[in-house]
Amino acid sequence: MNGDYNAATASGRSPLPPGEPVLEVRDLHVEFRTRRGTLRAVNGVSWSLEPGETLAILGESGSGKSVSAQAIMGLIDSPPGFITEGEIRFRGEDLFALSEDRRRRIRGDGVAMVFQDALTALNPVFSVGWQIAETYRVHRGTPKREAYAKAAELLDRVGIPSAHERLNSYPHEFSGGMRQRAMIAMALALDPEVLIADEPTTALDVTVQAQIMDLLTELRSELGMGLVLITHDLAVVAENADRVAVMYAGRIVEEGTVSEVFTEPAHPYTLGLMHSIPPLHRRVAALDPIPGTPPNPARIPPGCPFHPRCAFARQHCREVEPPLERVGEGRASACHYWEEVKGGE
Amino acid sequence: MSEPLLSVRGLTKHFPLTRGVVFRRQIGSVQAVDGVSFDLHEGETLGLVGESGCGKSTTARLLMRLIEPTAGEAIYGGEDIFTMSRAQLRRLRRDIQIIFQDPYASLDPRMTVGSIIGEGWEVHPDLVPKGQRRAEVSRLLEQVGLEAGHADRFPHQFSGGQRQRIGIARALAVRPEVLILDEPVSALDVSVQAQVINLIEQLQDEYGFAALFIAHDLSVVRHISDRIAVMYLGKIVESGVADEIYERPAHPYTQALLSAVPSPDPTITRRERIRLEGDVPSPANPPSGCRFRTRCWKADERCAEEEPALVDRFGHGHPSACHYADVSDVIGSSGQE
Repeated sequence: MNGDYNAATASGRSPLPPGEPVLEVRDLHVEFRTRRGTLRAVNGVSWSLEPGETLAILGESGSGKSVSAQAIMGLIDSPPGFITEGEIRFRGEDLFALSEDRRRRIRGDGVAMVFQDALTALNPVFSVGWQIAETYRVHRGTPKREAYAKAAELLDRVGIPSAHERLNSYPHEFSGGMRQRAMIAMALALDPEVLIADEPTTALDVTVQAQIMDLLTELRSELGMGLVLITHDLAVVAENADRVAVMYAGRIVEEGTVSEVFTEPAHPYTLGLMHSIPPLHRRVAALDPIPGTPPNPARIPPGCPFHPRCAFARQHCREVEPPLERVGEGRASACHYWEEVKGGE
Repeated sequence: MSEPLLSVRGLTKHFPLTRGVVFRRQIGSVQAVDGVSFDLHEGETLGLVGESGCGKSTTARLLMRLIEPTAGEAIYGGEDIFTMSRAQLRRLRRDIQIIFQDPYASLDPRMTVGSIIGEGWEVHPDLVPKGQRRAEVSRLLEQVGLEAGHADRFPHQFSGGQRQRIGIARALAVRPEVLILDEPVSALDVSVQAQVINLIEQLQDEYGFAALFIAHDLSVVRHISDRIAVMYLGKIVESGVADEIYERPAHPYTQALLSAVPSPDPTITRRERIRLEGDVPSPANPPSGCRFRTRCWKADERCAEEEPALVDRFGHGHPSACHYADVSDVIGSSGQE
């Protein structure tokens, strides 16, 4: 059940100086060049993650929330995808300035990722135990028997019952929740300092969802990992994250601590999202949704990309794109009229 | 209460599990739906909730007669849906319409939106005279929040939310009495989801159809339903008026389900969460007695031996299928007003 899971010591990394982010994205631009035109999927996104903290990246489909994570992990197919600008720093080192070999090492070792769909993320022709043991063998040169023992230990750690017997099971023999656990185990194998979880519970049932989020939160505090939680689900953010960055049309439109952003949103999009979900605790007469649909990334409106759907919009918004600016301690909003939005709630 | 519009009794569907190619033999059965009973009254919305594999979508497909039941009856207009003649079925498929989860798979990509919406009138020509069909399509499109000019476009030119609106317009075109909505908003973005929910409510006020709303999102179900039935592994474990189920759940499964729903409001402090262990057992081999007992913290020998009946245990008009049912406000509704 136990073992040495301290990230810094197990992988020989020195502890970070306090206040130093473990992972930092600066002014990232990603575009996809297709026959139909250039899609600007990520347009100048910056965020940073402190060790041990949970940062949620909240957005709807097409907001670019997953693309920035894929850029970190080197998972963008090029062509058609191109990272045209920006830096990604892991412990202060710019990934794009490193050799391919060193970059791969960081991606394997320092930053790990779990996906929404474990059935496609796991290899169907190898047993779950083999796949986890493989990670140790390739990255650490661990002998086979020992690698399997470590795999069993990990499966046990993520709550898979009779882990030792399940080593020889194949992914399809696991239920959805168990597969998600196995994928988390694999991601933890090399004691990453950062875990990126892309919609980790979206495909799961409510009761299983709660189990997986509890597990991630528990592992994060126990291992001191930073967690980047990419999701469309406001409730998952509210219950699990410390800070949140709200994305719309490839940009961060609002950022801050979860408690502040959710109680006093400073961007009309965040406010609209909150009005769109019916509460569980009481009945409301009617929902007050955001009109229209998220923009096509090939045709992002001029000025503020949210203006066609915004109740606060006026002429200025159609012409000038608002930058993401500081609106308080640790808070930022990309709205010309954020004071009105915040005051109105 | 008035006579129900649709009355389902003992609905059961066991899918056979077979082995062998030449000599197929049955080695068991998946008990997808097992003895489900409920009534649907005129103009009301009944929410059917449960996790994947609980049989809620199979129930919908049975009522549409897309698949045949193993047992049970569903009385609609004095007739059992499952013994209806072809002519009666034609009428039934006009009266009961369904909207599916996936707006990408449920519209024929080679048909224009206008012909998709008007397709029902080919079978039921008396509904709208030929000369007025074009105008009626325009009216329906506008009613679901699209433009009359969209009639000549094809489904791929629309977003997911717009396609779901087209599906709703198609269903309304034949003026159904009952609308079955099978996870109608789960595939949509949060902001679009709310638009479609509002649209469904608004149309229901106007047309007065009864709705069977099948979903796994408990917040959405509470918002839209008058009454709710909670399903687990092919059976209804608890049912009642929406506020009763959410504020006074009596079945341990309902309580666990409600307590697992995360809240988008960080100021709400939840009561302690009930952590369910493990996964839903396979419907091919359900537990004896109470089907929930393998994950239930209250279970004892009695639960393994004796299946609890779905009966009103507290006189609230709110039946629950648990020997040890006990009302508990797990989401903390009181004090949150």
